[in-house]
Amino acid sequence: MTGWDAQRRHAFQLGLAPALLVLALITIAPAIYLVLTSLTPLNLTLPESAWDFSTPLANYSDLLDDPRFSRSAWVQAKLSMATVIAQLLIGLGVALLLNGGGKVRQFARSGFLIPMVLPPIVVGLLWRVMYAVDISPFHRLMEFIGLPVGSLITNPNLALTAIVIAETWEWFPFTMLMVLAALQMVPAAPIEAARIDGANDWQMFRYVIFPYIQQTLVVAGIFRLIDSIKAFPLIFVLTDGGPGDVTQVTNYYAYRQAFTFSLWGYGSAIATLMVVGIFVLSWAIDRLTGTPRAGAR
Amino acid sequence: MAASRSRVGWFTRHRNRVGDGFTIVLLLVVLFPFGWLVQMSFRPNADIFGYDLLFNPTFAHYKALWAGAFPASFVNSIITSVASTVLALVLGVPASYALSRGAFRSSRGIALWILATRMAPPIAFTIPFFLAYRFLGLSDTLIGLIIVYLTFNLALVIWMMQPYFDSVPRELEEAAWIDGCGVWEAFWRVTLPLSAPGLAATAVICFILSWNDFFYALVLTRTNASTAPVAIVNFIQYTGWEWGRIAAAGTMVMLPVVLFSMLVRNYLVRGLAAGGVKE
Repeated sequence: MTGWDAQRRHAFQLGLAPALLVLALITIAPAIYLVLTSLTPLNLTLPESAWDFSTPLANYSDLLDDPRFSRSAWVQAKLSMATVIAQLLIGLGVALLLNGGGKVRQFARSGFLIPMVLPPIVVGLLWRVMYAVDISPFHRLMEFIGLPVGSLITNPNLALTAIVIAETWEWFPFTMLMVLAALQMVPAAPIEAARIDGANDWQMFRYVIFPYIQQTLVVAGIFRLIDSIKAFPLIFVLTDGGPGDVTQVTNYYAYRQAFTFSLWGYGSAIATLMVVGIFVLSWAIDRLTGTPRAGAR
Repeated sequence: MAASRSRVGWFTRHRNRVGDGFTIVLLLVVLFPFGWLVQMSFRPNADIFGYDLLFNPTFAHYKALWAGAFPASFVNSIITSVASTVLALVLGVPASYALSRGAFRSSRGIALWILATRMAPPIAFTIPFFLAYRFLGLSDTLIGLIIVYLTFNLALVIWMMQPYFDSVPRELEEAAWIDGCGVWEAFWRVTLPLSAPGLAATAVICFILSWNDFFYALVLTRTNASTAPVAIVNFIQYTGWEWGRIAAAGTMVMLPVVLFSMLVRNYLVRGLAAGGVKE
């Protein structure tokens, strides 16, 4: 079979090459260009500024003294923490509710998926409707029962909460699906044994089921944490980073610096830091939790 | 049995039905914002904020959309999503097969690279792509958008197809070789057909991810190549919050993904957690 093997080896290299070449061109080349741009004061009206590396670290030292940047990182931390925890709890709860149910709950499983697959811009629009005081059924209901609520998205104290609610709504199905998949892998024997021993629902969950889905929750949490750093369409449609900058996450701040104020070097520096931050975060989580990437089976 | 039954409470006896009832109520609450947008799109303008369920549905908002710039952007969305999906499959499927069978020493490095592209924030790609496209004349073109969508679709295809190829026995390919097939002919005639369900699911997920993109299209297109999600935002900027039409446009944009996602619901976790979940 050596002829077959040698022929195969050669064929595989041929099959792999085009994809890797394209992938390098569209991921590694832009990454290098991003880092290079972050070392320049790029101004599109001054073409020579694209390769002006006279003060390479100017953008980075500016970042250190930029209170709006540190505030955006803080907003990001609050948004990420709140959404990840809410999504894990709600996703877990709904998964436990749906697991092992009959036809009704099988059907509901597909229904609960919908928020996650909707185009994010549409999620933004439908929450925009929910949050618009004059037309929202929610606001009218609150008024009807005598507890009128002011607009959430224009209130500096509540705008971030409004984003958290919408983001949690959009992404709890992700945790739900992952937990449901993990629940199917729980063997029947220990459950049966615990039942015979008279375990109640809470004990059953805590000591029998939870150990089997723990890893999955960690993996789901990592994915949602990293994706929460990319939050954009919801903020774009609902608050545009405001009021003031209470909902301006780092991603949004970088977008504004680059695409609204044409501070390309500065925007690139923020984006570079975000990439570094995400990789450090992934690495740290990977270290802290063993090998979660292989954990979900 | 009957005696012990009467001693346990009503709740325990009807546990299953209570759970079902609660599930339905919860589902209705969760899907309420979604349903509200859809019903708004059929409401006449005079009654757009009404909340009685019995109203005369109208297609006026859809007709108004059809007459404007929206259909062109809808077509742009279809072209970019389909083209990017096809391109990702053409490049990614052979690569994925090669990684599945080839036992390359660099396999782990490639896997990490793919995971990194999944983790990296889009803003890190949009800035260099925007600047490069200005220079290359690819701003506001469909081709430019199709290339950008490859940044996530290609990695997804390579990663997602591998386990399907892994599960096809090598003996089948060897038998095909003995019958005179070349390596890729054996792949085309034997392995690929056996991986068809995975291929279909991968294609649909690529399509959904491209279709749902808002950020890249917002930054890299203006008028010619703007996709449907961006068209909605442009439309809001020009005419203000005209709710009926916005609801109709939103409904049109989400319709294909809702239908498609029901087809691939069992594969969704794998696709969306690409790089992180092994099955």
